[in-house]
Order: sequence, then C-alpha cells, then structure tokens
Amino acid sequence: MSDTANVPETTRLLAEQAGLAKALKLFPDGVKAAAERGLRPVGDPPKGHVPTASPAPVFNPAAFEQKK
Amino acid sequence: MTDLAWLTVAEGAALLRAKKLSPLEWTRALLDRIAAIDGHYNAFVTVTADKALAQAKTAEAEIATGQWRGPMHGVPYAAKDIFDIEGMATTCHSKIRQNHRAASDAFVIRKLNDAGAVLLGKAALHEFATGGPAFDLPWPPARNPWDRNRHPGGSSSGSGAALAAGLAPAALGTDTGGSVRNPATCCGIVGLKPTYGAISLNGVFPLTHSLDHVGPMTRTVEDNAIFFHAIAGHDPDDATSTARAAGDCLKDLKTGIKGLRIGLIEHFYIEDAAADPEQVSAIAAATDVLRRLGADVKTIRLSPLPLWTDCNRTIHAAEAYAIHEHDIQTRPEDFSLLTRNRILPGAFVSAAKYIKAQQLRAALSREFAEATRDLDAVITLSSLWLPCRIDDPAAVAKTYDQQCRLVFNVTGSPAISVPTGRSKDGLPLAMQIAGHAFGEPVIFRIAQAYCEAANTCIGADAATQPPILEAARTAAE
Repeated sequence: MSDTANVPETTRLLAEQAGLAKALKLFPDGVKAAAERGLRPVGDPPKGHVPTASPAPVFNPAAFEQKK
Repeated sequence: MTDLAWLTVAEGAALLRAKKLSPLEWTRALLDRIAAIDGHYNAFVTVTADKALAQAKTAEAEIATGQWRGPMHGVPYAAKDIFDIEGMATTCHSKIRQNHRAASDAFVIRKLNDAGAVLLGKAALHEFATGGPAFDLPWPPARNPWDRNRHPGGSSSGSGAALAAGLAPAALGTDTGGSVRNPATCCGIVGLKPTYGAISLNGVFPLTHSLDHVGPMTRTVEDNAIFFHAIAGHDPDDATSTARAAGDCLKDLKTGIKGLRIGLIEHFYIEDAAADPEQVSAIAAATDVLRRLGADVKTIRLSPLPLWTDCNRTIHAAEAYAIHEHDIQTRPEDFSLLTRNRILPGAFVSAAKYIKAQQLRAALSREFAEATRDLDAVITLSSLWLPCRIDDPAAVAKTYDQQCRLVFNVTGSPAISVPTGRSKDGLPLAMQIAGHAFGEPVIFRIAQAYCEAANTCIGADAATQPPILEAARTAAE
C-alpha cells in the first residue's frame, strides 16, 4: 500500500467521481496506473478503413419479437 | 488398453460403445488419480465425485441396454469453474463468489448432460477469467504439469493442467483474449476458440460481452472436434448465439491438406514484438511440415500486433468494468491484485473510446477478411514466450500478455492452438491455426494433418507425456 500523495489531482478527482474512493485509499498506485491506461487514446484504424461501423453486437429490434 | 489416464475421447468412446470399458471404471480411475496427484497441480477447485459416479452409473446402464447417445456418452470431462451447474457455486476462483449457488445448468452443461458425459469437477481459473496466476485468493493457482514451478497459462488454467496431467480427457474453457489457447499452448494440449456465437455463453459468468467465447480443450485434435460438436449449437436464450449450424468437423478431418492455401502471419513475432527463438524456430519447422503435406504457405501482412492488442484490451477493460463496477467500488480488496489491475482501467475508458475501439474492431475484421480472401486458413504464434516461473511476478508481468491470440477474439474467427514440440527445457511450444468464420472444419483438418505428421500431441507413449512428479506417479499407481 502506498500514499495517495503520489496520485495526480485529476486522477484523484476522476477516481472519486467513478466511485473508486475506497480503491484509491487502499491501492493508490493501482488506481494511478489504471487511469493512465484507461485514459490513453485507442489506436487509429488501418489506412483506407473508414470508422463507420456500429458497436458489436449490432442492435436488432426484431430479435426481441422472435418466438422461442 | 491404454492407461486410462491417457485414454483419448475417441478411443474411450469406441471402447465404451463396444462395452470393453465401463464408464464407472474410467471415471473411478480418473477420480483416484485426481485424489492422488492433483495436490501437486491444483487443477480442480471442486471435485464432483458423487455426481460423476452417478452419471457414470447411468451411462453404464444405458450403454448396456443399447441406448448409446453418442461419442461423449460415459466420457469424463472437467468444466472451468465459470460454468453454472445447478446447486453448485460458480466461484470464478474468486472470494467474491464463494457463496454463490447456480439456479440452473449452463447451456453447454445441459448439452453435455444430454450427451451422457460425466462431470469430474470444476477446474481452477484465473479469477474471473482475467489477470493471471494469483496467490492471494481462496484457492491456489493451477500449476503446469510440464514443470510445476511454471504457470500453466490461463485463464482456463485448471482445464489445461487437468488435461496435461492425465486427470481428464476433455475440459471446457472460455476465451476472451486467448484463455483457452494460452493454457493449451503452455500445457502442450489442443484448445479451440470457435467462431463467435458458435457455442452458447448462457450460464457462463461473463468477462466481456462481445469478446467471450466458450471453447473445447483436449489432448488431441480429433477429440477436440468431437467435443466441439457436443457443445456447439444454437441457443435461443443467448442473443450472441448464431442460428448457423457448425460445419461437420469430423467428416473430412483425416483427408489431408494437399492444395490448401495457408497464410503465415510472421510480422507479429518477427517485427512487431520480440519472441522466444525456440517458439519462432518451432513455427518455422511447422511451416515446413505443412508444405511437405502439400499446403501452399505464403506470408501475409495485417495491421501491427499492438493495434490488435489495443483494440481487444480497450473493449475488455470497458466491458469487464461494467460487470464488476459495484464490487470494485465497494470491496476492491477482495479481488486479487492481478484481477484488480486488469479491471480498474475500465473505470477511465470513456464512452467515445469504447465506441472507437468497436469501430476499430470492425475495421480490423474487414482487413482480416480481405487479407485472407484467397486463403483457407492462417497460422501464427500463440504465446511469444515460454511459461515463466509462477512465483516470479516480474517475469509474469513481462511475458504473460505477449501473445498473438487476441487477434482472433477481435475478428471472432475460429483459432486453434496446437503443440509444435518441446523447448530445450522440455516446455511445450505451440502455434495457432485460424480460419474464416465457421471455418472450423478446415482448421481442424490442418491441425489434424500437422499433429499427426509431427507427432506433437500428448498420447499413450510416455515420451509424449509430461514428467508427472515421481512421487505423484507412485501415488497414482
């Protein structure tokens, strides 16, 4: 267990906002590392691929009407 | 007859059907072996001896009166402790789930019950199917039968260890970023991550909703195909379950691979990341074997491995956090360090980042489809490094996530890990064979041809088996 003094203020605020006050108190280094990983932007798609797809699995309203 | 510890599903099924072997005899032999040696490997969280003996007795009576249900009838198996079994805890190897009781059986457990299979017990895993080998949980981590000081891979760690230690001929695993294929690779067995949706996730505790797959684990390719057929199939209660039936993986299994076109994805482990030279040499030798068997193998390129990793890990973090949010907020100390560190980043993944990761997933899947349009399958490494010491957290952190498996969780296409030999220290080496969606019959065919030609699977010959501890072997005998 280490000190929350090493955790940047923005990380502390974000963690508390996310309901992670207990985790921050018990595992400040873990929360700090998690914030660094979580906030890092995701990579760009390969060249020539336009990112227009929907999240998977694609929502299908008809699926709710299918008989079992 | 082969020692019952090393009997394959195919061999056992034939003997059972011919009434030359009793399901009770096979089950008792494995339960005795588990009691004698599993203390060294920790493959099982719970052994369901009474249930197993009851199921074996029923199978025996049915087979005796000619009511043979199929190739899994009377065949013992283990299930990762993430599958619901009515009345039992689905612990997910976690303190948080110790007091859980499942209200009903998971879909695949029901299918195996209907097939007459015999459940030996629930196998160890990495907590909630993520993180890594942990010592801060109510149960010890499973160990690698090839060297019990090494980790067995995961997260289906107990399933892999049980197979390699001769404690079960088949086991159920789950795979979100490689959790069937990692223990298959580290334990020298065969593990399939099927096409997304081919096997129901109903009654399986989720890690992520869009990357999870159930997969069969066995010691041979033929057994894997048999087990796959027993558990695949549409489940109307699972929104992710496909209505498309799996292709017949047994019909052409042994017809060879002459003329098949296989892409080799070499840049993952030559340019994008460092890999153990023995893993690299082994897949090069395997490529030669495939060419000798008549396949046309050519190198192909995809996006760099780190982009695939980024995509998988972002989706993993966000979806896993959604599942564990309440517990990580209120009782973070009850998770193992490795699991907590894997789940916490999800709290900081924005909705925009998650959606971009899903868009990236679609783009990468399209890229894979285009790059493999004229191919029947692809091969690449599974793990980049050999399994390190289980009690060396620095080595685990450095090597454990260095892998090419999560690529096929992103695409949802089927991928199988098959052994490619042993390292100079006697540890298993492996490669993956992956294919198009619903291309299981082709990848099984390639896996079968390769493993038969290279003789890399664990079998009845002691030279192919792990060096089970002498003390354990004596106890088992």
